Amino acid sequence: MEQALTVDQRWDLVDKITKETVEVGAYEPTLRDAIAGVTVRPLTGIPFAIAVLYGFWTFFGEFAGLFTDGFFVRIFGTHWIPWLAERLAGLPDWAFVILVGDRAVFAEEFLGDSCFAAGGVLTTGLFMPFGIVLWAVLALFLVLAILEDTGYLPRLAVLLDTVMHKIGLHGFAIVPTLISLGCNVPGVTACRPLETRKQRFMMIALLGVFVPCGAQIGMMEELVPGLIGWVFLTLAVGYLGFGWVLNKILPGESPEILMDVPPYQAPQWSNILRKTWMRTQHFLLVAVPFVLLGCAIVMALYTTGAMDAIAGGLEGFLATVFGVPASATPSLVVGFLRKDLAIGLLPIETMTNYQVFKSVILLTIYFPCLATFAMLLRELNWKEILGTLGFLVAMIFVFGGILNLIGMAGGW
Amino acid sequence: MEKKLSEMKYEEEGIVKKIRGDLKDRIAGMGIREGKEIKMMTKQPIKGPVVVAVDRANTSIGVGLADKITVEVGK
Amino acid sequence: MNKVLLMGQANVGKSVLFNHLAGAGATVSNYPGTTVDFDKGHMMLQGKKVDVIDVPGTFSLQPKDRAEEVAVKMLEKEKGATVVCVIDSSKVERGLYLALELIEKGHSVIIDLNMADVAENANIKVDTERLEDILGVPVVTTVAIRGEGLKELVSRMGEAMPAGIESITKRVGGKGGTSTHS
Repeated sequence: MEQALTVDQRWDLVDKITKETVEVGAYEPTLRDAIAGVTVRPLTGIPFAIAVLYGFWTFFGEFAGLFTDGFFVRIFGTHWIPWLAERLAGLPDWAFVILVGDRAVFAEEFLGDSCFAAGGVLTTGLFMPFGIVLWAVLALFLVLAILEDTGYLPRLAVLLDTVMHKIGLHGFAIVPTLISLGCNVPGVTACRPLETRKQRFMMIALLGVFVPCGAQIGMMEELVPGLIGWVFLTLAVGYLGFGWVLNKILPGESPEILMDVPPYQAPQWSNILRKTWMRTQHFLLVAVPFVLLGCAIVMALYTTGAMDAIAGGLEGFLATVFGVPASATPSLVVGFLRKDLAIGLLPIETMTNYQVFKSVILLTIYFPCLATFAMLLRELNWKEILGTLGFLVAMIFVFGGILNLIGMAGGW
Repeated sequence: MEKKLSEMKYEEEGIVKKIRGDLKDRIAGMGIREGKEIKMMTKQPIKGPVVVAVDRANTSIGVGLADKITVEVGK
Repeated sequence: MNKVLLMGQANVGKSVLFNHLAGAGATVSNYPGTTVDFDKGHMMLQGKKVDVIDVPGTFSLQPKDRAEEVAVKMLEKEKGATVVCVIDSSKVERGLYLALELIEKGHSVIIDLNMADVAENANIKVDTERLEDILGVPVVTTVAIRGEGLKELVSRMGEAMPAGIESITKRVGGKGGTSTHS
């Protein structure tokens, strides 16, 4: 029973119906309307956007730091890890190494931070997700849920569209990008409202390669706080620059923005907390097993001597192409499982600052974590997946190579 | 006087006269159509998108798309 | 009737409504043949357990992006379902545009004028009885975030039915027309 009307006929009918049923009284602009105007006009909106994002970033850093440094480093470092080491001291060597870690860490003369140095599944393996990353992702998920629910994100998209459209991206791209900073998995899903296949593919490829997730950011904030600014700047240059390149070389269209801008809404706390909790739950389910598995693999490779063999094999390649020491090998081995774990395993004390910086960039660009890769399989077709992987490999060499050359030129 | 939507000034009001091409269908569900009052809410600089209001619903439109909409302004 | 689809434009409070209807048992599912997630749950309707699905928001049935495309595909697959068309009461015109499209396609529709509080603050009054007479399908008013009007919505879902565009055209404008005030 289809009785299709044309667009005009349908609107005529709507007009007639509303004339009889809807009465529109005088409208007094409210404070909400005023705020809506201020936050989307360029002169006032851009400073406002910077203030909002800076405020949330500060909150994120403080919140995560409060739990990690103020609490969990002590719990794990002075209570849990030494207690566990004593309890399990009688285990055979291989089991002790995998579950607890390197025995040298528990020798009298060791003065370092056992949270990271131990390396075992029940020590470092639990400390990283529960002591550091959980609090970082929790803070990010909370902040993002607030941005989403108040209706601020579409306005940010409008403000950024001016710049983004010039390089062929959609202002809306800021939405999946921000969500990816929490976790890349929902970030990939958030690309769906982009209009063409080309736009979606470009965005997903850029997200997968250049946008670090909350877990990684949490580890960086903990381990290399001084480098975060440089890491973000480099990744942003890659994201924008190669966004421009992809837009030029890929066939297809990049249509302009056409988007509803909803009114602001007071956040519904029950909804925000539910959303934050659901995403955190997802993190715990997906991330923790892989971190534990990663720790087990690394320790097993160490204790069997396989890690040394792999590192030896990669040494020349890593040193010439990227200028990264072979001691970064364990990070690369587990990088495809979990990037937060990979960053946690970087031998920071034995590397120069510049080497750490390069390694963090490479690990971010490196193969997306398994959960994200599973999302790519769902959202993209085979050609696009191969394209994404090719892009990723190219980017590793471009960024690794360029940063290495810059380092050599600067003598770092 | 008729002008393109993209040429309307900040806070200027008018009546939508014509929407060209397939934009007409694409934009219909958002409430923007011929004969409706439309108000320019904001314009982004250097050819960025505009935000317009129709029946209190705000919509952001890229400037190239806004070129396809003709508006009657002034009395 | 074995399924209830929640359809509506973006930002009309559809998800909040879904959470109320489906309660805690909601799950994210994957629609066959696509890769897009949607929320699915159960609700009790006339003593029977039925599926309730939160269809991705769409401005019209002529999709302009992938999310909207999925919404339209889901609708096409569920021909026999009861379609709750959720409308922002302060933006009735564009909401009715989608409602008419749904009616044209022959779906069993019930209209939910949600966010009634927003419309009230904006001095917008909707004559729901008259609207119901003209459209020939049930029209209810809700404020989903406060849980208001949901009982009526659920109790009247059974009355959802297809309506003819021609008869709507006849009833409108004709000062009462065939309307029968109840």
